[in-house]
Amino acid sequence: MTTKENLPEPSNPLGIDGLEFVEYATTQPQAFGALLQKMGFAAVARHRSREVMLYRQGAMNLIVNAHEAAASTPTLSAFALRVRDAAAAYQHSLELGAWEMPTRASAMELNIPGIHGVADTLIYFVDRYRDFSIYDVDFVPLAGTEARPAAIAGLHWFGVVQSILGDRTADWLDFYQHLFGFSVLPRGQYFGVLPKGTLLESPCHKFYLQLIEPPPGAEDVRWDEGLVRVGLGATDVPAAVRALQARGMVFVDRGAVQPSEKGALTQPYLGGVTFELVHSHLKA
Amino acid sequence: MNLDHFGMDTITLAGPLEAKLRAVREARFTQIMLSAQDLVGHPGGEAAAIAAVHKSGLRVTGFQVLRDFEGLDGHLHAYKVDVAKAMLQMCRALGSRILLVCSSASPHASADVRRVVQDLQKLAMLAVPLDIRIAYEALSWGRHVNEYTQAWEIVQSAGRENLGLALDSFHILANRTPLDALEEIEPKKIFIVQLSDFLWQEVRSAEDRIETARHSRVFPGEGVHSEKVIELVRQLDETGYRGDYSFEVFNDDYRQLPLPLVAERARQSVKWITGRVARRSLPARRRA
Repeated sequence: MTTKENLPEPSNPLGIDGLEFVEYATTQPQAFGALLQKMGFAAVARHRSREVMLYRQGAMNLIVNAHEAAASTPTLSAFALRVRDAAAAYQHSLELGAWEMPTRASAMELNIPGIHGVADTLIYFVDRYRDFSIYDVDFVPLAGTEARPAAIAGLHWFGVVQSILGDRTADWLDFYQHLFGFSVLPRGQYFGVLPKGTLLESPCHKFYLQLIEPPPGAEDVRWDEGLVRVGLGATDVPAAVRALQARGMVFVDRGAVQPSEKGALTQPYLGGVTFELVHSHLKA
Repeated sequence: MNLDHFGMDTITLAGPLEAKLRAVREARFTQIMLSAQDLVGHPGGEAAAIAAVHKSGLRVTGFQVLRDFEGLDGHLHAYKVDVAKAMLQMCRALGSRILLVCSSASPHASADVRRVVQDLQKLAMLAVPLDIRIAYEALSWGRHVNEYTQAWEIVQSAGRENLGLALDSFHILANRTPLDALEEIEPKKIFIVQLSDFLWQEVRSAEDRIETARHSRVFPGEGVHSEKVIELVRQLDETGYRGDYSFEVFNDDYRQLPLPLVAERARQSVKWITGRVARRSLPARRRA
């Protein structure tokens, strides 16, 4: 007989249910698209009214937005949370002190509500991800492409890394805990091969946020707040590294960040974009 | 404790912003507290005012002041949230890490502490992405919150990292709030201390307090409660407060005197205070 432990769940006021997509902004969408393909993503649809493309790999959706991009280096500009009710999540967040994002929808497009996150980034709320998706409305599928390309080595969203200024960890914990119900993982519980910072677990236990203050001795380094990179989860990191190397990706291979069972980091591409692989217990 | 720990406030001085910045800098202060009027009332607009502040090389102690924010309902609350957002954005553009918020004097403000706490939590949340700390101050004529002890209870209940206290000696002296509760306050939750004295022994009614606060404050050392101000500073220093002291001196006379003269009085006040309060504790020297 199995008994289920009756542990209290951290509250999940918005009914968060994972990451729906991450969005990058870049003025060189073609070059970034080529890089994404090496990373195992495939272009599957184009936005109806803007220079925006949807890439997909397994359960991961990734949007490349060249419409209002300012910089050539692809920069993480948003992530979207799957929630029970997007309008309610949006209202709840505003009541608690989030900054509203102006709507950008054109005629016949979905109005995806969002709030401001760190620096110039946005956090969207999406509730249509089961029977039909936001992409069915706002995007046109590319002819002759596989709508659901399989993931390389079971890759899936693991989390998002956010840089923060010194002594700002507690401020950002307040932000993610009180707006969304994230909880802090105990120190010592970490994943991957990179500086640890503070790890926050989503209330749905499906992804993580990692907050990183400038490391000691980095006083001379320019360090801004922002979203730094995504982490992709893999049950077998070395296998995923090999598969991606075969597709032409290059991983940093020195010091503490060389590829291992725990994780791996790609070299910086296109002026600074990197992807991290993390050993993951999460499901693809 | 030295001149670097003290700053002047633009409200003490007459004239255009650039003249105030120059006078403060020439008196060798390194920081200044600014008001929203300094920015929006600048003939060149906010951007020009902000550029002048940055050019002065003075550090911005804080930005003031958001009034009557907490405890409102419906459209009044929504209106104040809009005002707060604009204040936060100016504060950020200025490079100030502190927004000063005084306890509400509005007759429409609720006495419900839970409500007040919620509103301040919301304000603190709005301030997080902008890297701003909210310094909540008990006005001596605040409708429901008029002593620092009440403000501290509210800050504690709210439990937000970027929400703390502004202490103003005038309001503490005017309401004769005992200083002993200061030792219960975590020093890191005191974000700013404003110092001033005044010339009357007593200010009994709320009207008296408002009138005195807005027109007849003087620098510490110039009034009749200055020993009490010293006691306040000494106690804060002993409990471990290491933040800034800002002279919150509203005085009609000072606003019609030459700026260097007023800035010099401020400097004398710093000397007067530092001469009476022991040096800030330094790390103990290692024995050879």
